[in-house]
Amino acid sequence: MAATAVSVKDLVKCFGDLRVLDNVSFDVEESSLTTIVGFSGCGKSTLLNVLAGIETTTSGIAEVSSSKNLSARLGYVFQSPRLLPWLTIEQNLVFVRPDAVDEATHLERVHKYLEMVGLKNVRHKFPYQLSGGMQQRAGIARALCIEPAVLLMDEPFSHLDEITAGGMREEMLRIWQETRRTILFVTHDMQEAVELGDRLIMLDYHGRIFVDIKIDLPRPRNLTDRVFIEFYSDVVRHLQAMQTIRAEELAALGVS
Amino acid sequence: MSVAVNVSPNSTSLAASKRFAKSFKGIIFHKGWLAILMVLVIWQIISFFLGGRGLVPSPARTAATMWGVLASGEFFVQLGDSLVRLLIGFVLAMTLGMIVGVLMGSRWFWNEFFKDIVILGLSLPGLVYALLSVVIFGTKLLAPVMAILFASYPFIAVNIREGVKALDKDLLDMTQAYKIGKWKVVQQVIIPSLLPHILAAIRTGFTIAWKASVLTEVFGATSGIGYMIRFNFQMFAVRGILAWSLLFGGVMILIEYGILVPAERHFARWRPQILEEV
Repeated sequence: MAATAVSVKDLVKCFGDLRVLDNVSFDVEESSLTTIVGFSGCGKSTLLNVLAGIETTTSGIAEVSSSKNLSARLGYVFQSPRLLPWLTIEQNLVFVRPDAVDEATHLERVHKYLEMVGLKNVRHKFPYQLSGGMQQRAGIARALCIEPAVLLMDEPFSHLDEITAGGMREEMLRIWQETRRTILFVTHDMQEAVELGDRLIMLDYHGRIFVDIKIDLPRPRNLTDRVFIEFYSDVVRHLQAMQTIRAEELAALGVS
Repeated sequence: MSVAVNVSPNSTSLAASKRFAKSFKGIIFHKGWLAILMVLVIWQIISFFLGGRGLVPSPARTAATMWGVLASGEFFVQLGDSLVRLLIGFVLAMTLGMIVGVLMGSRWFWNEFFKDIVILGLSLPGLVYALLSVVIFGTKLLAPVMAILFASYPFIAVNIREGVKALDKDLLDMTQAYKIGKWKVVQQVIIPSLLPHILAAIRTGFTIAWKASVLTEVFGATSGIGYMIRFNFQMFAVRGILAWSLLFGGVMILIEYGILVPAERHFARWRPQILEEV
């Protein structure tokens, strides 16, 4: 059995009186691609922020570990690329060099991953000179170039048009299969979650795990295949069940 | 089919000369010249009617006086004295303005603490600081330095406060996720974010500082451009007042186009709109 890369146990996160994550517990195996889905405001991004150390936990544990000797704990691909606009693409990647890695080694990695995402030729350009898709690819290269134990991805393709996003998904899968990094991928797009992940965690409106299922569909996945459609339909049924429970809760509270 | 591409060895120098020609053309056809021409025409008309009484000398006679002041070298001696006072005062004002601005922008308590003092500082005219400094410090170096410090620091503080408030939290979160050291964040994220505001602070603060410096020299100095304006005033030499004032303005324009605009262009080269403006 593969080692555990991410361990979340009884995690609670509150912002004032608002409980955003409620007793969330799960483990993620090394080299796996886990998708986390849920509606807006269900705590998906907060979960990643807690793992990244941007937010603190209210109670419980959220840990990232690795059996491999890696220089960095985690890389983060955000919803928007969050590149420093005054640095070139290459400088943006150089900027995140972990202290443990010497400059020459890091620069080698920067070039390797820029090549991998197809941006080596535009590495001296500023972010504004690139398209949205290219900027997001630069964000992915930045996360990869520190060779992290875990890659956190927070709806990285949601700002892109569907054609670009489709291409980016294929590219991301290729990179994942090439690097075998552990990926935690947050999305609100159920189809994207089923297409990419080998496990799906669905959070409900209260920031609790509603469904945790293994996606054992063969790769490459074809969205028009019968097995894919059947699995996707199952996920949608879970989603509808969650919505029904929510509607009943609101009705009990007298909210229409 | 092969396509022959003719790459001239002179293409780089050609591009450079094209750029030079473009910027030269930009200066020649600079819209500001039209406004200056308009002012000169109005000035000439006014001097035609009032010049007889010696009140408004013509632009040509004023230019001759300016040339005389420049040719004698006196302008540069007086400018040197004014610049020393200005630089000392301005460096102090920048330091105080940056500290107050950063505190106000980053902490609610300090914003409330300094808010009223800064508003008061913004609303008082430079003349008040000039007069008070001369009364308190006389003709010592401290007089213009203090006047510059208190007249310009509020403008710097306000600009810096807005810059700190506008810092992109998403970028700061990114640095936290990637465990970037604090000093590196300051150097590569915070300072570049603040640069447009720092440049705006320098531009506004410097203009205010110049005015405060010259005013202090008018009231209590034995050298400097302000002193020369007062000297000409006492001699009732309108031409001299105009010549020294215009030369002073000329230095300001030189600083604007020679230092501030190129600096802004350099630091904002990553912003597409600036490149288009330039």
